[in-house]
This record gives sequence, structure tokens and C-alpha cells, in this order.
Amino acid sequence: MAEPLRVAINLNSPVPAYRQIASDLRRHLVEARLKPGDLLPPIRQLALDLGVHFNTVALAYRLLADEGWLELKRRRGAAVMARHAPRAVDQGHVDHLLRQLGHIAAELRSAGMTARQISSALRRIAQGARP
Amino acid sequence: MTSFSWAMMLVVTMHALLFHAMPRFSRPDILFAVTVPDAFVRGAGRALLSRYRLVVWCGAGAALVIALVLTAASFATERRAFVMMAVVAGNMIVSASAWLWAHRTARPHAVPDSDTRVASLVPRDTSLPGGVLFAGGPFALLLATAVLVSTQLDQVPTNSKPLGPFGALAMGAVYVAMMLTLAMSLARRTRQIAVDNPAAAAEQRFRRVNVLVLVLAGYGMAIMMSTVTLEAIPSFSGTLSPRLWIVMLPIMLFNFGVAFWMFRVGQGGHRSVASTAREVRGDATPDHAWKVAGLFYFNPNDPAIWVEKRVGLGYTLNIGNKGAWLLIGMMLLPMVAVRFFF
Repeated sequence: MAEPLRVAINLNSPVPAYRQIASDLRRHLVEARLKPGDLLPPIRQLALDLGVHFNTVALAYRLLADEGWLELKRRRGAAVMARHAPRAVDQGHVDHLLRQLGHIAAELRSAGMTARQISSALRRIAQGARP
Repeated sequence: MTSFSWAMMLVVTMHALLFHAMPRFSRPDILFAVTVPDAFVRGAGRALLSRYRLVVWCGAGAALVIALVLTAASFATERRAFVMMAVVAGNMIVSASAWLWAHRTARPHAVPDSDTRVASLVPRDTSLPGGVLFAGGPFALLLATAVLVSTQLDQVPTNSKPLGPFGALAMGAVYVAMMLTLAMSLARRTRQIAVDNPAAAAEQRFRRVNVLVLVLAGYGMAIMMSTVTLEAIPSFSGTLSPRLWIVMLPIMLFNFGVAFWMFRVGQGGHRSVASTAREVRGDATPDHAWKVAGLFYFNPNDPAIWVEKRVGLGYTLNIGNKGAWLLIGMMLLPMVAVRFFF
């Protein structure tokens, strides 16, 4: 059964709400559950349903628009764009993400996972499986 | 027994029936305006409900007995009316106190507010039922009446009001504008509680019916004000009022039908879907934000202007939201309009 198109946030998470919203949306986008031309809910509607400030959702949409995933529409939310090639991303940001991945890998090794297990889990996640 | 005594006894009985049914108006995991666990609803909550209803009916029974005794006693008519009204008021205080007591008893059993919030990424329909043309109908009706009146101005008796014979139409337009604003805000500024299953569709249907009632209220007012205005013209006088029921009756029947339907499907339409289709507990509002035994919702951190009621069916304003106060201010407009236009 297809995973429903949802976004979830945890108010107690140290990750800011707009990043949580953007992460969930990005996952739907890279796994092609959201296709080019699909409309996302208007900012106000999503903010209302999540019970967060409108700016929180606007920030998340802006982040994904900057990555080339979304086209923002006045009053109508956002539309998913056809993204043939990833937009040029700041190399510093990529390095930062890889460093974070390194920390996570070290924690997993420390918890008893082997390098092979980590790499196979990472491959599954990269192919769209939920951890 | 006078008709007044009968009316008072009917009020007491209807009131007791309303308070008896009130706990059933809420979503299944909300009891006495508190979000409680299923185990409480099935166990201690059921006993609490029985005790609450016992108090309500004892209060009503006592009020009816006093009313009968008073009817038999030789009281002066004015004094009897006063005492009867005191009996009805006393019964209302007993029922309200029973609700307050039950609410306070349930509060310690409230489930903690969830840290997780989920929303669907599928845009939902927030337009007015029937579209803009249908929503604009009452204005068209008022405008058509105004044009008709302006062609027969020589027949209209003069009055000293600023808008002359058009006062009632202006008043109607203010009321219709108010109803449409309420309808639009209800359609757009209410949180969707169920996320993306049949429960969400039922909830959306419930909301749209509530919006439609507001739009139809505008039609009712436009028809009434048009009739009032045209009745002042001798060539129409006495022809429209007797036939007013032809349009008002269907609107009233529709409203009664909606009230019955809402009672059947329950708050947010939850009874129209299987309980397994409901994923979200409660109504996605924190318990601490509900004040006065669950009557008022005050949450400045909630962007929703409207939320589902916890006491009764339908929606109520989030009085912690500035937008809600704009709406409340706007609801006073017709009262101001009456002062100026009539």
C-alpha cells in the first residue's frame, strides 16, 4: 500500500519545525510520491493543520524552492517542479551533511553495527526504504 | 394549569433532555470536554456519566414538582410567573453545576497532549458550497428589490431614516456580508483533525454542511428584508407576507434536518465512519486551553480561528486569536446597522 502523503512534526524535537516539515516533504519528493505538477496545500492551510505559525511552513516551502523542488504560488501554496538535475548546492553544506553522517556512522559502530551492516542499511534508505 | 405553566414545564423537560444528551455530542474520546483514555470512557467515565444524568433528571424532577405545587397554590398571576421563572433558572443552575462537577472529576484523567502533529499534504476544498455565484445570490436578491423599489418610489411612504425605504435592504446586506464572512472563515480557518482517511472525508462533509447553513442564513435574511421592504409599497402590501412561508419553510426544514443529521453523525462526523478509521485522539486542541468547563477555547498559539466545540455540536471561535475578535466585532455590525437604518 502506498505511503499516504503526510507531514509530521514533533514539538519536542531539537530540530526546528520548519526543518522537520522540509525533511518530510523532501523525502516524498525524492521518492517521487510527489510528482511534477502536484499542488501542495497553501501555507496557511498546512500551518493550521499542524498548529504552527504560518512563517514556519513558509520557511520550509522556501527552503525546498531554493533547492529547486517547488515553485511558490501566491495564495495557492506551492507546485512541485520537474527537477531534471539537482540544482548546484553549496559544497560547504554537503560537507556538513557528510560530517553528520560520519558522526551517525560512528554512533552506529559504537552501538555494535558492522561497517557492512551500516553500508547496507544506508543503501536501503537511499533507495527509499524507511529505516 | 395556565399555558404559561405548561410552557415552563416544557422548558424544564427540554432542558433536561438537552443536558442528558450533551455528553454524546462530543467526539468519542472526549468526555465532559476532557480528552480521556478509552479505558476511562468504558469504566469510571461511564459511572460518572450515569451520576451526572441522575443529578440532571433529579433537578428537572424537583423543578417539575415545584411547578405543579405552585400551579395548585393560590398565587397572584404576576407572582406565579416570577416564581416559575425562578424554578426554571434554578433547574438550569443545577444542570450546569452537574456538568461543571463532571468536568472537574474527569480532568485528572485527561491524556497528556501529544507532541506529534500530523497533516495531510493533499490540498482540501476550502471554497464555499455552490461557488461564488450561489454565495452572491442574497446580494442579487437585495439589489433586485432595491431596483424594484426605486421604480415605485412615488408610492413609497416617506420616512425620516437616512436611507429611506432602502434601510431594511441595507440592513439585510450587512447581515448577508457578515454571514458570508463567517462562512468563508469557517471553510478556510478550521483545522482538519482526521488526516487522510474516510474520517477526514466525513469531517470535511460535516464542515461544509455547517458552512452551507451560514450561506443559507444569508438567503433567509435577504428574503425577509426584501419582503419587509416591498410590503411598504401599496401595490405589494399584503401579497407577499402570507406567502413568505413558501421560501422560509424549506429553509427552516433544512436547518432542522441539518440539526438532526449533525446529531446522528456526531461531532466532526465521527459516527459516520468506523472507529478504526480514526487515528487522531481528541480534537487536536490542548485540554488546558479550554476554559469554563470546556465552553470557551482560548489559545493564542493556535492559528485556527475556528475549532470544534467541546460542549455541543459544530464550531466555536478561538478567542485567543486576533482574527476571532475581528469576527466577533463584525457580528456586532448588524446591531449597529439596526440603530442607523431603522
